[in-house]
Amino acid sequence: MLPASALVLAVLAALLAWPVPAALARSSWPRRDPLVALLCWQAIGLAGGLSIIGALLVHGLAPWGTSLPAAVWAFWTGAPAGEAVRGDHWIAMTLAGVLFLELTGVLLLSLVHTARTRTRHRQLLELIVQPGAGLPGCAASERGAPEARLLEHPAPVAFCIPGARPLLVLSSGMVAELDDAQLGAVVAHEQAHLDERHHLLLLPFVAWRAALPVLPAADRAHDAVRDLVEMRADDVALRSVPGPCPRRVLAAAIVAAAGGASGHGLVPGGALAVTGGVVSARVARLLEPPPPLGATGRATALACAVALLLLPALLLLVPAL
Amino acid sequence: MASLGELERVFMDRLWAAGAPVTAAALRDELADRGLALTTVHTVLGRLEQKGFVEHDDARPRGFRARATREEHTAQLMHEVLGQAGDRQAALARFVGSVSAGEASLLRRLLGGASPDPLPDDADRAG
Repeated sequence: MLPASALVLAVLAALLAWPVPAALARSSWPRRDPLVALLCWQAIGLAGGLSIIGALLVHGLAPWGTSLPAAVWAFWTGAPAGEAVRGDHWIAMTLAGVLFLELTGVLLLSLVHTARTRTRHRQLLELIVQPGAGLPGCAASERGAPEARLLEHPAPVAFCIPGARPLLVLSSGMVAELDDAQLGAVVAHEQAHLDERHHLLLLPFVAWRAALPVLPAADRAHDAVRDLVEMRADDVALRSVPGPCPRRVLAAAIVAAAGGASGHGLVPGGALAVTGGVVSARVARLLEPPPPLGATGRATALACAVALLLLPALLLLVPAL
Repeated sequence: MASLGELERVFMDRLWAAGAPVTAAALRDELADRGLALTTVHTVLGRLEQKGFVEHDDARPRGFRARATREEHTAQLMHEVLGQAGDRQAALARFVGSVSAGEASLLRRLLGGASPDPLPDDADRAG
């Protein structure tokens, strides 16, 4: 007999593997409050992993005890099983172990891999770019912000390399295309990525997309989180853009950068579809801002995120019914 | 006292400017105003070699040269930033992703359309 908690966990895992991420990715409220939506995505990712592994574990260890902590303890200390241990119990346990190792392993590998790439890029930048190259319209250095570097290249590009010593890089093409206010907006946008550690929010989704290529939701979740992170950085950047209409300044900077990049023929054709839609979405969002999510909406979304995490955690701890 | 990072940059500038293999002693003499010991020069060259920016030949004394030009390094970095390498999003956060030419013009229209000023077309029609 399948324990009820294993059954509920399995249902929860199925919901989190497909309908829930699909619904969240389709809904329109996340762009009204990217930060809350990002928290919801983190909860979905964590609860999804917890429930699928938990379901397998609860079922696999059912012969050893009625509650998971007790069963784990009994199994660990080599106590005899209370019921007959069948093949499916061993399969469930093995699957749980494999899945757990795969998810954490890929996450660790991804962490190491990106850290290595960043180190290489930073070393490269430190060699080819003079430090302290004065950037027009960039007030970042006054705030004790990360080093800003000017890279000699005609394409308008701006990016940041997160890490212990973050680097913020602007290309000379970007400086040429934008005026000072727009450059300030670009710097504020990248600064927001660094300040709020957006790379950490994205990391699990990058890793799990690599770990679960068969799961369309992993792809969908990754893309949604990547887009939301950009929108959140836009929102934060607006606060530090001076002038009567900061939204227009930032939108103009995005348009100029996007147009310039495609005009230089530097972007390989295959890359077009990847980020295509989100640039338009960001500009539209800046020019015609949707009403921000009300307090009730925020509270509901956050409550859902907390419930999503508490449900599998409680199901794992309470005695099986 | 110059940091190792700064010395590395100075060395690379020299190696790029030289064009031909340079010996450690020649580098020390070129940078005489910094008063570097030969061991320091070798330390910095060793670090640069370890990072893959410098290689040496088998002549005696060994000649050091840059493995790629500054432009080649820039091009490689830009390729990784702009390109579609799988880990691009994880390693770098870019301001704007790439868009197609069609979307770029759509964006410009979007920006123009939301302008508080009347569009030139409308003004013509009104007049």
